[in-house]
Amino acid sequence: MAADITLLFKASVKTVKTRNKALGLIDSSSREEPSGAKRARARDSFSGRAREVISNISKLKDFLLQHRKEYVNAGSVMCSDVSRMTDSERDQIDQDAQIFMRTCADAIGQLRSEMGKQVVSTQVKNHRAAVLDLIEAYLRGVCKLYSEQRAVRVKRVVDKKRFNVDLWEDNRVDDDLSPEEIQMFEQENQRLVGEMNSLLDEVRQIEGKVVEISRLQEIFSEKVLQQETEIDSIHQLVVGATENVKEGNEDIREAIKNNAGFRVWILFFLVMCSFSLLFLDWYDG
Amino acid sequence: MAASVREKQTAALKRMLNFNAPPLKNTTAEPVWKLLIYDRFGQDIISPLLSVKELRDMGITLHLLLHSDRDPIPDVPAIYFVMPTEENIDRICQDLRNQLYESYYLNFISAISRSKLEDIASAALAANAVNLVTKVFDQYLNFITLEDDMFILCNQNKEHISYHAINKPDIMDTDMDGIMDTIVDSLFCFFVTLGAVPIIRCPRGNAAEMVAVKLDKKLRENLRDARNSLFTGDTMGTGQFSFQRPLFVLADRNLDLATPLHHTWTYQALIHDVLDFHLNRVSVEESQGSEASPAGARPKKKNKKSYDLTAADKFWQKHKGSPFPEVAEAVQEELDTYRAQEDEVKRLKSIMGLEGEDDGAISMLSDNTAKLTSAVSSLPELLEKKRLIDLHTNVATAVLDHIKSRKLDVYFEYEEKLMSKSTLDKSLLDIISDPDAGTAEDKMRLFLIYYITSQQPPSEADLEQYKRALVDAGCDLSPLNYIKQWKAFTKMAATPANYGSSGVKPMGLFSRVMNTGSQFVMEGVKNLVLKQHNLPVTRILDNLMEMKSNPETDDYRYFDPKMLRGSESSIPRNKNPFQEAIVFVVGGGNYIEYQNLVDYTKARQGKRVLYGCSELFNAAQFMKQLSQLGQK
Repeated sequence: MAADITLLFKASVKTVKTRNKALGLIDSSSREEPSGAKRARARDSFSGRAREVISNISKLKDFLLQHRKEYVNAGSVMCSDVSRMTDSERDQIDQDAQIFMRTCADAIGQLRSEMGKQVVSTQVKNHRAAVLDLIEAYLRGVCKLYSEQRAVRVKRVVDKKRFNVDLWEDNRVDDDLSPEEIQMFEQENQRLVGEMNSLLDEVRQIEGKVVEISRLQEIFSEKVLQQETEIDSIHQLVVGATENVKEGNEDIREAIKNNAGFRVWILFFLVMCSFSLLFLDWYDG
Repeated sequence: MAASVREKQTAALKRMLNFNAPPLKNTTAEPVWKLLIYDRFGQDIISPLLSVKELRDMGITLHLLLHSDRDPIPDVPAIYFVMPTEENIDRICQDLRNQLYESYYLNFISAISRSKLEDIASAALAANAVNLVTKVFDQYLNFITLEDDMFILCNQNKEHISYHAINKPDIMDTDMDGIMDTIVDSLFCFFVTLGAVPIIRCPRGNAAEMVAVKLDKKLRENLRDARNSLFTGDTMGTGQFSFQRPLFVLADRNLDLATPLHHTWTYQALIHDVLDFHLNRVSVEESQGSEASPAGARPKKKNKKSYDLTAADKFWQKHKGSPFPEVAEAVQEELDTYRAQEDEVKRLKSIMGLEGEDDGAISMLSDNTAKLTSAVSSLPELLEKKRLIDLHTNVATAVLDHIKSRKLDVYFEYEEKLMSKSTLDKSLLDIISDPDAGTAEDKMRLFLIYYITSQQPPSEADLEQYKRALVDAGCDLSPLNYIKQWKAFTKMAATPANYGSSGVKPMGLFSRVMNTGSQFVMEGVKNLVLKQHNLPVTRILDNLMEMKSNPETDDYRYFDPKMLRGSESSIPRNKNPFQEAIVFVVGGGNYIEYQNLVDYTKARQGKRVLYGCSELFNAAQFMKQLSQLGQK
């Protein structure tokens, strides 16, 4: 139960103002806002664009939510005809939404790369990176809305088709054929219908499973992309490490050679010294 | 008070972080970004309650310390959460002058004085930034909530209000007043957040009484001031359906000095005693592998890992009060369940591989896709579970190492027997002179407990013998001086505390057979079972809550801030037993008392007890304070 003392603060400001006036100090109320222009300029570059992206995503979200009811309302027989959406309209919405989401994702990517190039302090960099993360999470939430909507629509279409089996009437009436041929034809028809139905069932099952698999694939690709950056950095490190090891080997080889050469020289020097000693000794004696 | 203190404090923090407006439930709302600036007090309050991820989810892009170098980030609002001290106010004024942020939301942890508010006002005027200071709030959150029903006062300056500071012989009145003011301020904030005016009971003649008098006065003043009272308002409505007011029991550490020195056997208390456990974060040292290091190589590096034990960790919530062997078994069980689930997921992989050979595999596909989807969605849960199991395995192994090397189970058993005055099988001298049972500190603790709980002090000759044995073992004898003084003092005042009857049943050999399969082979560590017994603090609470008459608590003072006239009488006006109580120990508390209170509450339906203390110390820290007092 916090206490709001903003009003108290404003009252203190007034008190201090009157006190300053009474003491004859500089009256600050006539000073212009010098930082207003500077603030406006800084706003344009990063946060202005970030806010633009957010407002676009919000527009998309509102649009999706607005038309959600009609979009999902696929195949209900008793809906009012005015708000009925045709399939082509739905496809149009799908396409538009996807293009829009892709543009937003591109805009975020662009902001990120630009931010990498600018020279600002670490804190500002971290702040901007976090802001971009927040925007991405928001975009992902809106995309989830859209894909849920779409999955519901696909499911309803699939269900609707299942119930239309009974509408496959066999309307063929042929007066020229004899009763036996008619019966034979009827039997064959039944058999064909049965076969088609079983095929249809299987296809429908596969369709449902494919939708699920596509969802799974989305999850997997997200995970793989996440790991991509880490794998890249590991790759760089390993390449660097191999280089270092190679150079290390070279250095060791050289050191061994130098060591050997050094020993040879020492040996030579000692032999020379002993010969010179012998010579001097012979010379003296 | 349906919501716990932790939930209330978290809700208050979340509201503050949402620009002091109640947070919306909308899941896909537009993100608004902001900065959080805090001082060390604010950091201690926020860190047990909100994780960095939760802060990010609320839109906080950066969280910075007030007194660090901060760069201007020109178009972002900044939320400040600081204590109203001189340095903090100066720094805020400096920020205003340097125009670091777009707008400022100032939240003070406890109430700010009028003069400091004017300082900020004049700085804002000078920087022409008055319109940028959008909101100023007094949050009244000057306490740290560690568990749903446990809180401590502060972590930063705890030497200021420690047991040592309150009880040192050369304390001056001004110091004492300062300490009391700090404690009362925090307790006042606690009751404002809780939203209830309690009935206060305290013993006579010690620090607890002083705190009670001041707190009563402060609550009374605030209630009288009808315009600005913090205890009325529409936000309080939800909490006030319980017409009963809570009972606030103030206890002083001096009434029971043996419990902080006691060796313990429950999981959370053991971690606090043996490892570095601080604000729900434990640091464990791990040694790097067990291969023999070749001669001349560098010594094995030990790295310290720290883990957070939070409310979301279900294993921790379930087992933090269980005796240690139970915890070991439970970790084993969790590991087994996890392995079973992992195997199931792996089996799916092999089924997927088989499928390619079979043409008619479309029917198999249907089951498996569903299984695959459920497996993939449950993977994050599984990973989290694995992480928690690893965490607890590491922590429990570290604790077990300490127990084995110091033979803490022997100490625990012996101390339980001492405190319950049952017969002892080994003599105290044997344990003290035993060179590989425990560190010097453990022996000193044992001896102090013996000294505190014995009915009459040991004879001079015995005492000399003990002292010599202790010095041989390497102990420092200054705490003993202090305890002698304390005992003399309390003997004059009241009868020494009775620790109640308890029993300890060792389950020696049986445990070996049971645990051979488990990862924790507890050979030689007796599997002790705790029987229920009541510590002095719990007994006092019981008497006061149930209005039982008992010579110990009959002359406790009674304060009711809502009454018009403060009375000196100690006759309680309320004859019904209380449903909710808050116990606060002035001078420090620990997890053993907390666990005892939790067990007491579990045994009684419908009662809620909160535990608070001015600081939380384990036995080692308490011994240090005692030796400082003994050296004076």
